[in-house]
Amino acid sequence: MRLTTLAALTSLLLLARSVSAAEPGAMQHAGHGDPTPGSPGLVDLGATAAFDAQGTLWAAHKTAAGVSVSRSRDLGKSWSAPVAVSRESEPTDAGADARPKIALGPQGEIYVTWTRPMAKPYTGEIRFTRSLDGGLTFEAPQTVHHDRQVITHRFDALTVDVRGRVVVAWVDKRDQVAAPAAGPGAYRGAAIYFAISDNRGKSFGTDTKLADHSCECCRIGLVPRPDGSVVALWRHIFEPNLRDHAIGVITPDGRAGPMERASFDGWAIDACPHQGPALAVADDGTRHAVWFTASPAAPGVFYGRPREGRVEGLRKIGGKTAERPDVAVLGREVAVVWKEFDGTRSQLRGLRSPDGGETWQEVALTAADGASDHPRLLIWKGRFHVFWNTRLRPLSVTPFP
Amino acid sequence: MKRIRRICLRWIPLLLVAMLAGLGAATAPRPTLKPFGPGSLAVIREANRGRPFILAFWSLHCAPCKEDIVLLTAIHARYPQVPIALVAADGPNEHAKVARSLAPLRLGAIESWAFADDFAERIRYSVDPEWRGELPRAYFFEADHQAAGRSGVLDPAELDAWLVRVTRSKSPPR
Repeated sequence: MRLTTLAALTSLLLLARSVSAAEPGAMQHAGHGDPTPGSPGLVDLGATAAFDAQGTLWAAHKTAAGVSVSRSRDLGKSWSAPVAVSRESEPTDAGADARPKIALGPQGEIYVTWTRPMAKPYTGEIRFTRSLDGGLTFEAPQTVHHDRQVITHRFDALTVDVRGRVVVAWVDKRDQVAAPAAGPGAYRGAAIYFAISDNRGKSFGTDTKLADHSCECCRIGLVPRPDGSVVALWRHIFEPNLRDHAIGVITPDGRAGPMERASFDGWAIDACPHQGPALAVADDGTRHAVWFTASPAAPGVFYGRPREGRVEGLRKIGGKTAERPDVAVLGREVAVVWKEFDGTRSQLRGLRSPDGGETWQEVALTAADGASDHPRLLIWKGRFHVFWNTRLRPLSVTPFP
Repeated sequence: MKRIRRICLRWIPLLLVAMLAGLGAATAPRPTLKPFGPGSLAVIREANRGRPFILAFWSLHCAPCKEDIVLLTAIHARYPQVPIALVAADGPNEHAKVARSLAPLRLGAIESWAFADDFAERIRYSVDPEWRGELPRAYFFEADHQAAGRSGVLDPAELDAWLVRVTRSKSPPR
């Protein structure tokens, strides 16, 4: 009896302690007298956007109400009131490479995904919702994958394939968890899984593995192709711990196609880069990739065209603080953007190639004071635009000159 | 019945005292987590003038970082004279989670910090313009504050060699 009471007492004490540790009020306050533009305690800036066929720009971003969708009919100059799409303030994943995704279907469908973190560290679920009434209302979110273990299902990527099917890919640790109990390192990293909905996002088919041994914490590039396939680019873990990139194909019939190595930096490290690649594919099938590596031999952001296990046109992008690159392609025109902190401001920089990535010219874009999200390239009416959510210019759009 | 009453009489006041102590802990100005901004490294260096120290960055979103924190707490127990500043590269929205995840650890005199705002580039730049945000990331400051940065999980042997070297040199113990 006494022992039980003692145990209860101890656990109560522990509970009180952990609550006290979790109390934000117990923390000292930031930056006295420092007019920091980093803005503590505001909503995450992670956002993505897509143009619909009429040129309306749709953005998925976070507000105090959770993941929300806003609409702009004037290239980002003004935005509609955001419509909250996550329910009951469900938490959403934070961190450098996590952000809500938006994609549009051929009949005006609006699809949104995000990652909901779960109680245990590094765990999450990929959440999905859709609007079939032009963004007026969104359905109750559903979980994309059928595996419901409390493990990593994170870093969602979303696209719509040429036939209008919704394709979601993510980083998944079910194989790591199921690996023989030979201690940590028995299974390198995580895996890339995907699921496809052929009923406009009403439900998703089986969870299919695209590749074993992806890095655990980086965004995935996902691009639909005219033949019905979808190409994915992700940070991989090649043996023993090379965190370079791999490219794989989801075949038109929804199976995992071949995978090949896409970057050869030889970055041997046990770390979380928190910086995934980006991919664009030209009509002729040429793959244009941008990525980050910290390999000691050549650290930085790079552009290259992965082809049959080698990289063509390799080029270093920007200076030593370059980060978060994106790439887009329009015929032979290729655009690359990235941001670069100069000690005061984040410079938005760009490169344009008129000839499929053979030659490049730098283009003048803009700069931001304060915190900013990853810049993303969009295409509308044969022109590139840069969508960039910054603290001082939310959901901004900058035309690519 | 009597026995139960006796137990209640004996334990309820204790329980109340314990709860109050818990509440006290919640409101006490205990610096659980210090905000790490662009000026914080200068503050840490000033506090450790003339002696070596370790500055170690981690994040809630970095699975390999967990091993490093465990290793650093073990190191701290063996080399308490080498200060360690542990910095979570997570912004204010996640400070409660950071504090919660550190609570069960025996941090001793290890200082816990977390990114003061979400302008991560600026904070990283203040530490090292060449650090791109990969984690874990640690800096080993010599007594003269020359520092070497290192990304990836720490190697215990390498760490031990460094500690042996810097604690053998003339820097005075605390």
